[in-house]
Amino acid sequence: MIGILLARLKLFVRNPWTFLIFTGMSIFFAFIIGSSEMGGSSIYVPIHSENETIRDSIIGKELAKEEAYSFSWMSEKALKDKIESGKAELGIILHENTFEVLVGVDSPNKGLVQQTVQAAYTKKLQQEQLIDNISTRSDKDKIVEEFTNLRHSPVFKMKTSSFQNEDSFVYDNSLHSLFGFTLFFVIYTIAYNVLPILTEKQDGVWDRIILSPVKKWEMYVANLIYSFLTGYLQVVVIFLTFRFLMGVNFYGRFIESLLLLIPYVFSIVSLSILITAVVKKAQQFNAVLPIVSVSMAMIGGAYWPLEIVSSKVLLTLSKINPIKYGMEILNGATVYGYSFHELLFPISVLVLMGVIMMGIGIHLMESRHV
Amino acid sequence: MIELVDLTKKFKDAYAVKNLNMFIEKGEIVGLLGPNGAGKSTAISMLSSLLDPTGGDVRYDNKSIIKSPSAFRKVVGMVPQEIALYEDLTAEENLRFFGRIYQLRGKELNRKIDEVLEQIGLTDRRKEVVKKYSGGMKRRLNIGVALLHDPEVIIMDEPTVGIDPQSRNYILETVKRFNEERKMTVLYTSHYMEEVEFLCDRIYIMDKGNLIASGTKEEIKRILSSENTISIKAERFSTDFIESIKNHPSVNRITVGEKEILIIVPRAVNMFSEVIRIAEQFHIELSSVDNKAPTLEDVFLHLTGRALRD
Repeated sequence: MIGILLARLKLFVRNPWTFLIFTGMSIFFAFIIGSSEMGGSSIYVPIHSENETIRDSIIGKELAKEEAYSFSWMSEKALKDKIESGKAELGIILHENTFEVLVGVDSPNKGLVQQTVQAAYTKKLQQEQLIDNISTRSDKDKIVEEFTNLRHSPVFKMKTSSFQNEDSFVYDNSLHSLFGFTLFFVIYTIAYNVLPILTEKQDGVWDRIILSPVKKWEMYVANLIYSFLTGYLQVVVIFLTFRFLMGVNFYGRFIESLLLLIPYVFSIVSLSILITAVVKKAQQFNAVLPIVSVSMAMIGGAYWPLEIVSSKVLLTLSKINPIKYGMEILNGATVYGYSFHELLFPISVLVLMGVIMMGIGIHLMESRHV
Repeated sequence: MIELVDLTKKFKDAYAVKNLNMFIEKGEIVGLLGPNGAGKSTAISMLSSLLDPTGGDVRYDNKSIIKSPSAFRKVVGMVPQEIALYEDLTAEENLRFFGRIYQLRGKELNRKIDEVLEQIGLTDRRKEVVKKYSGGMKRRLNIGVALLHDPEVIIMDEPTVGIDPQSRNYILETVKRFNEERKMTVLYTSHYMEEVEFLCDRIYIMDKGNLIASGTKEEIKRILSSENTISIKAERFSTDFIESIKNHPSVNRITVGEKEILIIVPRAVNMFSEVIRIAEQFHIELSSVDNKAPTLEDVFLHLTGRALRD
């Protein structure tokens, strides 16, 4: 088994192009498509006010602190242009005691942005009421300072959670692109590393190894370990590139994201075995693989969030698609901050899919003399 | 000794091999002849324990290879029809890989690699990747890999397909040398009659999954002892002439080439005068009419009604 792994490694070093090309393509596409918000991982919201003082007031300061949204100050005309050209989903016009939301795309983000701006106005109101009830000027400054300190260092913290309604979801475009393209392109790397099982069977190399003291299970395990490691290495390289060269913080769950990808990579190795077992020639494999991978990526939500898909047929199909569960795990771990326990369902589905596809694939390969 | 007893392989409704009975003595070179699709490759896949038969058995030293293949696998070397090598690795790396899987290690492995490279004449090219090799060099390395673990039996499935005559001669000489020096048992399949005539002590001929003849070269040629093979040569033949020869009551078999027609006729019949008469009738200018000594090719034609490479 070690001999087979060493030979595979040598072949990889001599011809690393498949790996490098697909790794490069993942990075390129994720960077281009997710780059509009790369690093900040926040939703772009243009903002305007006729009253210049609002920007420096507590409202402006509160909005500037928001991490989930990137509020960008501009003229009213520029704001409307951004919405009309589709560069922003919505825009906010702030007044002294109220605000307007200009909506270009009616997405769930509208309600979330509205809540955030409303919260800033509430804080402004609280501060104003406090100041109004204080008589002297010296007291005012002291109490406002004390109030601000208390807000930042409260005696106790209260954390609130709420159920999301069916229409709302948090969508981080840059991470979605990164995850989507990583899960998509790694299919090719893994599949092209499983393909040699088919070509070696046709070339007689496989027969030669069968006649040697090497056991058949060792032949399969060596090939599958190699395919798994190559696929996983690609994922690690892509994530490391985005984490350390482009500053994507993965919501502080970088290591978890990498570890949680193991079931996905395993299921793709199994899928590749199944495809290799079904086709008869490498040419058929080359024709089938793009069809399977692209349709899986579309149905599984690698290119766009599944939450915007309304077709019941597509949503049903997505339930037998490893990419859906891979995306669920990655988005769950990072954007939603789910615990391992909450991610157990998609992890289990991927492991189950992997075991079933591997079982059927190897059975088909063994029952057919190529 | 290796014995094939009523060996049968059926794929769906078709027999690839049907009731094949063969034996190979230790130190013998045995040829398995037959056209494409005769069932040779299926037979040797079963013989080498790579394919389970539908029926029958293969025995090595009186033990069933089908039931317990491990003992036979240790002593068999397989040269497949395809180039079963890693083309992106060098000759030395290929030999090292296959040596390792045969559990050769360290100095022993290095010694075997040097020895095999010497035997197949690739010592000077050992560091070159296989994809840069000529067809003949790849074939030699393909054989070399099967020799690494000093097999007692070597099975060669058309090892000279698609290579130049010099490489082919080199391979044939090498096989003969291995047999003489190491007393290696060789099963050699081919559809090149001259290779089998040069190499083999005994020959089995297969067609459409069945064994149709077997014996030494002389015994097989004796099948044609009651018949003559006549070669008729001309610049061109007319259809009428060919039809007339074909329909002649004394002609048992006929093979038509562009400038040569071979006919098999009973030895007692004087066919020369008949051929000349028919040629004059259809205005064919013959360049020669010869009586040929029977070859294995003629035997195959006699037995199957078609040429070996059809």
